[in-house]
Amino acid sequence: MNVAHSTSDSPASGAELAKPRGLPRTHYFSLLWFKTYADLRAEAARTYLNFLWWIVEPVLYMAVFYVVFGVLFKRGDGPEYVPFLLCGLAVWKWFDSTLRAGANAIQMNAALIGQVFVPKAFFPSVTIAQNLVKYVVVLAILLIFLQFYGPGVNTSYLALPLVVFVQFLFITGCTFLLAAIVPFMPDILQMVNYALTLLLFLSGIFYSVDTFPDHYQIFFALNPMVEIIESYRDVLLYERWPDFGALALVAGVSLLIGGLGLWIMARFERVYPRVVL
Amino acid sequence: MSSAFPIVRLDNVGVCFSQRAGLFKRREFWALEDISLNLFQGETLGVVGNNGAGKTTLLKVLSGILEPSIGTYTNPGFRASMLTLQLGFLPNLTGRDNAVLSGMFLGLSRRMVLEKLDAIMEFSELGDFFDQPVRTYSAGMRARLGFSVALEASPDILLIDEVLGVGDADFRAKSTAALKSLIRSDRTVVLVSHNQATVRELCDRLVWIENRVTRMEGPVDEVMESFTGARP
Repeated sequence: MNVAHSTSDSPASGAELAKPRGLPRTHYFSLLWFKTYADLRAEAARTYLNFLWWIVEPVLYMAVFYVVFGVLFKRGDGPEYVPFLLCGLAVWKWFDSTLRAGANAIQMNAALIGQVFVPKAFFPSVTIAQNLVKYVVVLAILLIFLQFYGPGVNTSYLALPLVVFVQFLFITGCTFLLAAIVPFMPDILQMVNYALTLLLFLSGIFYSVDTFPDHYQIFFALNPMVEIIESYRDVLLYERWPDFGALALVAGVSLLIGGLGLWIMARFERVYPRVVL
Repeated sequence: MSSAFPIVRLDNVGVCFSQRAGLFKRREFWALEDISLNLFQGETLGVVGNNGAGKTTLLKVLSGILEPSIGTYTNPGFRASMLTLQLGFLPNLTGRDNAVLSGMFLGLSRRMVLEKLDAIMEFSELGDFFDQPVRTYSAGMRARLGFSVALEASPDILLIDEVLGVGDADFRAKSTAALKSLIRSDRTVVLVSHNQATVRELCDRLVWIENRVTRMEGPVDEVMESFTGARP
């Protein structure tokens, strides 16, 4: 988030050109915190169930897939299928919800962007923070559920914060990059919807990727969500350590694409208002 | 009232919007073509010009929202922002929460807004409604809250686009008086207005913009005479 003095290298503006001062970066972090709180409250206030929707909505989401894959297609051969499925779905939903909302974050705030200077990275950051809060609730429910229908707490749980953190990095990276380019190419927004639907079925949520022949494995290996979901299952269901090397790779890739997204947003900071209005 | 050196300067500034007009076609549109002006510490600079002359775009360049496509904007680090009412308001939040949110978007720290909340509540005359969701407000009440918050935000350079007062007759008189006293203080202000009486009353100098180009900058009487003389 290059807030105050991004140096412009456009040829027309002299090198000594000083930008109007933005606010200190700490101000936007404090605003991010309050805006996240405000949005979550405002969203909850729209419905009767209020904050209960944070629990009801993911439960309904998972119930839909359970009915289709668990009951109708009888994919599971036994009681282990439900925890297996829920692990994948809960993790997937965090990624899916954040990306769908985050991709459009700058466009959605066009009116605000035209009235006051706000670093553009602020807007996807709000989406990321909101969805993080909701995911914490979902994860808590999942963990409680697994105490009864899974192996429960074991030493591999020590790796859980790391897995959550790597997923957070991956979600943040993807969201920053998408949010940065969508205002310039709004058509991408349409493709994001279908890409996410396709990935839902290709990320090993409803099945274990090990059941596929070797020549498919390369495609699964290219999809970081497969590695992330497998890591959760390693920790929560199979009582073993996740593949730390693979997680480090995902974290590295996430930092790269997130950094690229931040760079684009900072580089075109004052161009976005011309594009989105 | 004003110092000898301009604190902010525009030199031959132009802003080009490029819009999609078809699959691979883009249409260029210059919202500003050649704008130059000086702004001195503590003065109130009026901007006059017909509709579509580029006055609002000029304020967006000064506030740093838009970057000039050509020309230079010299600003050694003053924060300029528009007087914006109801910025970032969320209808489902209370007036109090919206005041904090809006104030923070306008550049006040959370602590500063909280300190000013009593003043905002009092000035807006909302009473118990201050803790009710904004969606239950009438348009006039929303405007009153928006104005009360905007009045408390204090950028180095205040940019005002037409709005001087809001609400019903009583509140309009009160809000206009409050804003006028802010303009007359030693704050640096850029004021866009179509109202000649207002411009003559409040401005120290004027700049006249026509068809996205600066036509004249100077003393109020001189510029006003040329501007009104040029009108059909």
